[in-house]
Amino acid sequence: MSGPILETRGVTKAFGGLVAVDNVDVGIEAGRVTAVIGPNGAGKTTLFNLITGVYPVSSGEIRFDGVPLDNMPTHKRAALGIARTFQNVLLFGNMTVLENVMSGQHPRSRYGFLEAALRLPKSRREEETITLNAIKYLNLVGLGLYAQRDALSLPLGQQKLLAIARALATEPKLLLLDEPGAGLNRLEKQELGDLIRRIREMGITTVLVEHDMDLVMGIAEWVIVLDSGRKIAEGTASQVQRDKRVIAAYLGEEVE
Amino acid sequence: MSPEQFVDNLISGVAQGSVYALVGLGFTIIYTVTRIINFAQGEFVMLGGVFSFLLFSSVGLPLPLALLLAVLAATVVGAVLYLLAIRPARQASVISLIIITIGASTFIRGVVGQIWGKDYMPPLPHFSGDNQWLWIIGITLVVMVALHLFFSRTMMGKALKACSINRQAASLVGIDARSMAFTSFALAAALGAIGGAVITPLTAPHFRMGLTLGLKGFVAAAVGDFRSQVGTVVGGVILGIAEAMVVVLDWGPFASAYKDVIAMLVLLLVLFFRSSRGAAQEAAS
Amino acid sequence: MLSRVRGKWSYLAIAALLLFLIIIPFKWFLGQYTVILIFIGIHTMVTVGLCLLMGYTGQISLGQAAFYGLGAYFSAVLTKTHGFNPWLAMLVAALATGGFAYAIGFPIFRLRGNYLALATLGLGIIMAVLFRELDQFTGGPTGITGIPYLSIGGFTFDSPFRRYFLVWFFCLAVLLVSQNIVRSRTGRALRAVHGSESAAESVGINVAQFKVKVFVLSAVYASLAGSLYAHHITYVNPSPFGFLFSVMVVVMAVVGGLASVWGAIFGAATVRILSDEILLRFGEWDVIVYGLILVLVMVFMPRGLFVALKEAYERWRLTHRQRGAEA
Repeated sequence: MSGPILETRGVTKAFGGLVAVDNVDVGIEAGRVTAVIGPNGAGKTTLFNLITGVYPVSSGEIRFDGVPLDNMPTHKRAALGIARTFQNVLLFGNMTVLENVMSGQHPRSRYGFLEAALRLPKSRREEETITLNAIKYLNLVGLGLYAQRDALSLPLGQQKLLAIARALATEPKLLLLDEPGAGLNRLEKQELGDLIRRIREMGITTVLVEHDMDLVMGIAEWVIVLDSGRKIAEGTASQVQRDKRVIAAYLGEEVE
Repeated sequence: MSPEQFVDNLISGVAQGSVYALVGLGFTIIYTVTRIINFAQGEFVMLGGVFSFLLFSSVGLPLPLALLLAVLAATVVGAVLYLLAIRPARQASVISLIIITIGASTFIRGVVGQIWGKDYMPPLPHFSGDNQWLWIIGITLVVMVALHLFFSRTMMGKALKACSINRQAASLVGIDARSMAFTSFALAAALGAIGGAVITPLTAPHFRMGLTLGLKGFVAAAVGDFRSQVGTVVGGVILGIAEAMVVVLDWGPFASAYKDVIAMLVLLLVLFFRSSRGAAQEAAS
Repeated sequence: MLSRVRGKWSYLAIAALLLFLIIIPFKWFLGQYTVILIFIGIHTMVTVGLCLLMGYTGQISLGQAAFYGLGAYFSAVLTKTHGFNPWLAMLVAALATGGFAYAIGFPIFRLRGNYLALATLGLGIIMAVLFRELDQFTGGPTGITGIPYLSIGGFTFDSPFRRYFLVWFFCLAVLLVSQNIVRSRTGRALRAVHGSESAAESVGINVAQFKVKVFVLSAVYASLAGSLYAHHITYVNPSPFGFLFSVMVVVMAVVGGLASVWGAIFGAATVRILSDEILLRFGEWDVIVYGLILVLVMVFMPRGLFVALKEAYERWRLTHRQRGAEA
C-alpha cells in the first residue's frame, strides 16, 4: 500500500457546546476499503462533512493527497477528487437518471455559459464525452436500462446505486459512502458489496459509514470505531470486534 | 433641532414604529406557527385603514365601533385567506407559498382599488385632541399586554405557543396544527388591521398603503428573526425612530422618499447579518 | 429514441411558430395586434430570465423590474443626454446592469427562500424610488422623452411594423440562447442547485457562483428588454418599473411553467392578451386577475399552467393511443 491518501490530525468540531468530533486522528490508506462504525451520534457523518468541507473544522488539520484542505470549499474538494453520497440520498429530483450522473461529470468538464449559449463545437464535443462517461458509470452500477427515467421514480435501492454512480462520475480518488446499505434488502446489500469491490479494483479508495456489520465485515479491510466523537479503536474487522472498548460502546445502546 | 422638536420627533417615531411592530408581530406569529412568510400581511393594514374610514364616513358608525368592526372584518379576511389559499396548498415549496401570498395580496389590493376607488381617502379624525401619536403608542401597549396574556394564560394561546416551539410535539399532545395555523392567520390579520386603524387619522387610507407598511413590518420581524416577539417590537420601534430622525435631518424634498430607501437598507443589513448566522445553523442541523 | 422523436417535433413546432410570427404583423393577417405583440416579445425576454433563475435554479426574484428599469433608463440617458449611438447605449446598459447584478449577487445569494424574496423585493423598491427621485438624471416623475429609434445604416425602426421584427429577433435570440444553456452542462448545474445544494456542491458545482451567474444573465435579459422598450415608446418614466411589473413577470413565469423556456412566450402572451385585450373592456380588473392566477396556479399546478397543460395533453394522448391499440 502506498500510504495514507487522507489524513486527519486532531480534527475537532464543536457545535456550540456540543463536541461532535473530538480530536480525531485517522489515516485512510490509499486503495483500501475502510469502514467507519460507531453508535448513533458518534460523529461519523460529521467527520464526512468535515472531510468534504460542508463545514469548517473547529481545530485540527485535514490533508488529502498531501494537500492541506483548510477552508477549501466543498466543490473544490470534489474537483481534487473527494466524492461522496448522502444518508438521505439527495438525488437531483428534477432530472433523469442519466442527467444525474452527467451532473457528476461537472468537475471533469470545462465549458461554461458562453460555449453553452452559442453551442460552440467545444460544448458539443464535451457533451458527447460527458454522456458516454455517464452511461459507463450507469452501467457499472447496473442502472443502464433506466437512463431516461425520472431519478425519483426509482425504488430506494436503485436510488442509492444512482447516487454512487453520480459520485463515481466525478472520477474521484476517494469515495465516501454514508450508510450505503441502510434501507436495502439482503440481496441488494450483496450487490452493493460486489459494487464496492469493483470500485476498489478501479483503484478508488473507499470509506463507508455503515451500521450493517455483515456488510462491513465482508468488505472492509480496515475499520475505525468512533464513539461520542472520539476514535476508540481501529484495526481489521476481527481485531475491532474483540476490542473491549468497542464492545462496551455498543452495549451502551443495544447491539444491532 | 430644538429639544422640543427632538422630543416630538422621538414620540412620532416611536408611534410610527409601534405600527410597524404590530404588523411585524403578525409576520412573527404566522411564521412561528406555519413557517410561512405571509406577503399579504401589509394588506391587512390597508384593510384596517380602509374599512375604518368606510365604516366611519360612509356608513356613519361612531368612531370606536367603526374601528372595532374594521379590525373584525380584516380578521375575517385573514381567516378566509388561510382557508382558501394556504390550506389547500399542502406541502407547497417555499417559493410556491411566497407566490401564493403575493398573489393573494395583489388580489386583495386589486379588489379594494376596484370597489372603493384608487384615490386617497380623507384621514379619520384624531381619536381625541391632537395627540394621535400617544393614542397609537397607548393602544399598541394595550395590544401587547393582551397578546402576552393570551399566549401565557389562555388555552388557545398556549397551544399556539406550543405549536410554534415544536409542531410535532404539539400534535402529539393533541393540538391540531391546522386549526393553529388558521388562528395564527386570523390573529396576524387582526394585529395588522389594528395598526392600520390607529394610523388612519395620520395617513390617508389608500388601497396601496399595504405594500410599504407591510415591508416595514417585515423589517421589524426580521430584526426579531421571525421568532422573537420582543425583538420584533424593538425592531419596529427602532425603525420608526430612525425614519423620524432622517426626516429631521432635512435632506430637502426627497427626505420622505429616501425614508423608504433607508428602511430597505436596514432590511438588507439585517438580512445579511442574519444570513451568515442562519447558514451556519442550517449546516449544523 | 423517444427524445429524438420529440426533438424532431419540437423543430417542426419551432418552424411553425416562426412562420406564424413572421406573418402576424401584416395587415391582411393580425396587423392590428402588432403593438401588443411587441410588448409580448419584450416581456417574454424578462420572463425567460426569471424562468432560468426561478424555475431551473430555484431562486426567487421579486425585483426584476429593477433591471428592466435600469436597461430602459441607461438607454434613455445615454442616448438623450449624452448623445450615444442607441446600439452602443444598449450594450453599455446591458453591461452596466449585468455588472450591477454581479456586484449585488454575491451578498444577495447568501440568502435563501423567504429572505431572498424580501431582499430582491427591497432591491426593486429602492430602484423604483431612485428612478423617481434622482431627477437630475432620470427626469423625476415626468421622465425622459424624445428617445431616438434604433436604426441600422439608413434603416430606422420607426414604425411598429418594423420594431415588431426587431423585438422578436432579440426575443427569439434570447430564447434560443436560453434553451441551449438549459440543455448543457451549465443547465444541469443550475438544475442541480435547485435539486439539492449540498449534492450539487458534492459533485463540484460552485453553487454560489452559478446562482450569481444566472442572476446576472436574467438581469442582462431584462436590461435588453428595457432598452428595447425605451426605443420602442421613446420615453421613460418611473411607473412601468415598479413592484407591479416584478409581480407581473412572476405571473408570466408561473403561467408559462417555471422550468420551461418556451413556456415564457405562452406566459407573456396569456397575461398581456388578458390585460390588454380582454380585461380592459371590463375596467381595470387585470391586477385582480393576476392575483387570482398566482394563487390558483400555485395551489393546483405548482409547476405552472403551461407544464400542467402539456402534461394533461400527453396523458390524454397516451390513453387515447392505448385505446387505439386495444381496439
